[in-house]
Amino acid sequence: MPLLGEKDANYLRKTFSEQLLSNVKLLVFVDDPSVCEYCDPTQQILEELAELGEKIETTVYNVKTDKATAEMYKVEMTPAIVILNDSGKDTGIRFYGIPSGHEFSSLIQDIIMVSSGNVSFFNEDLSKKIRSINTPVKIRVFVTPSCPYCPKAVIEAHGAAILNENITAEMIEANEFPELSMKYGVSSVPHTVINERHSFVGAYPETAFVSELFKALGGM
Amino acid sequence: MLFDLGSISERVAERYDVITVGGGPSALAAAIYAKRMGLSILVIEKAIEGGQLNLTTTIDNYPGFSNIRGEELAAKMKDHARQLGAEFLNGVVTKIEKHDEYHTIMLQDGKAILANVILLAMGANPKKLNVPGEKEFTARGISYCATCDGYFFKDKHVMVIGGGDTAMNEALHLSRIAKSVTVVHRRDKLRAVKTLQDKVFSNDAISFEWNSIVDRFEGSSQLEFVVLKNVKTGEKKRVKTDGVFVAIGLSPNSDIVRNIVKTDENGYILTDENTETSVPRIYAVGDVRKKSLRQIVTAVADGALAIANAFEKYFA
Repeated sequence: MPLLGEKDANYLRKTFSEQLLSNVKLLVFVDDPSVCEYCDPTQQILEELAELGEKIETTVYNVKTDKATAEMYKVEMTPAIVILNDSGKDTGIRFYGIPSGHEFSSLIQDIIMVSSGNVSFFNEDLSKKIRSINTPVKIRVFVTPSCPYCPKAVIEAHGAAILNENITAEMIEANEFPELSMKYGVSSVPHTVINERHSFVGAYPETAFVSELFKALGGM
Repeated sequence: MLFDLGSISERVAERYDVITVGGGPSALAAAIYAKRMGLSILVIEKAIEGGQLNLTTTIDNYPGFSNIRGEELAAKMKDHARQLGAEFLNGVVTKIEKHDEYHTIMLQDGKAILANVILLAMGANPKKLNVPGEKEFTARGISYCATCDGYFFKDKHVMVIGGGDTAMNEALHLSRIAKSVTVVHRRDKLRAVKTLQDKVFSNDAISFEWNSIVDRFEGSSQLEFVVLKNVKTGEKKRVKTDGVFVAIGLSPNSDIVRNIVKTDENGYILTDENTETSVPRIYAVGDVRKKSLRQIVTAVADGALAIANAFEKYFA
């Protein structure tokens, strides 16, 4: 039984054929279903996406049996999704937890952004600022699938990762990782944490997002 | 499990017959009516189509659906509009410039799109209490979205401030997650409809603090206490809580147009009976418009009215 309905599948097939330019590789890291409730459906939805877009390739790794690969991509939890571009380069985009509900749109948007190489919501000036960052940045965006504002925060973080290889940006489904959510005091989403130190709550306009990014880096 | 497609970035044209600023039920109804009349229409939404529908756990008063989840109804409405050929754009409108024959919509990324007719459908946002501690503890225990944040209060003690339909829906939603829910209301009876009242009064997890308002919020790094004030006696009491959900009504999201169209003192946009504003070719639909009932049925009615009137006036 497919997870995606026929109408959505048709729509995605059309969107992918119109908008995907280069190949996109989706790596899914799973664990045994006994310890990872959402690994199976995450794997399934990504396999369905690969069927809908000929430029999309999904590879599944088990974090126990494919340990070396998991370590190479610094996968910390399951289910995890890593997105690679056409040349096999890590985009820095991570999903921890299933991209269901409203977050499914973040994943689709990411695939289109990576494939087209176009992060259009950052204007030239903001893109330039993001590209100028030359120290490692880790952005973690805590979300819930029922939060309609969350995809914006996730896509901004992921867009920044695409623009600059020093940036890694994670979507973290808060319900699936309660301990981590607790550690960062997450009680409202989207909750963004940059380099462990700096955090803010809410989906910010692009300009404000970039200024938070620089605040976290000590106002470069 | 639901997989929502959201508004995937579609390529947009430079000019449309109609553009809606906002993508809630009023805009989606307008999209359906516009496409059926042969007009091109672009729906610009900053978060997710369906607007506040997505924040509503269950809807019991939309004809044809005795009980439907908000996000499901939103998805159905969007699907309907999309099937007819309405176009969607995920973006933030920063400015509207008025002209005689058309208007210009400026987007945050600097793009400008022209429209013969604009529908202002920006909706409304949850109203703040404006009491000490509210700002400090927002996202540290205070939330305005039970659908988004409810889960973080699993097995905890929470409060809902308000006595209307939204507040009671949130209380019922939270009663399935939290250990206890206390409803704080400034009057001695609820404003919510009878069916919701029946549900909350028969729910063991929900209790009430009548004739009470929030005086202030207190805590260290997270919210810990709410000081309630009894409006009859003036008496104050400090109550321990893990979380507070505020649902005391809405405030219109009309900031970007207040210098263009006429609004009332609260910021609700004034229109004629066909929902046209003080500026020709600009209509206001849904919750952002001054009217007596803000519901999904009145929002969709606004969208239909606006398109029917605009078609006759500007496209026929």
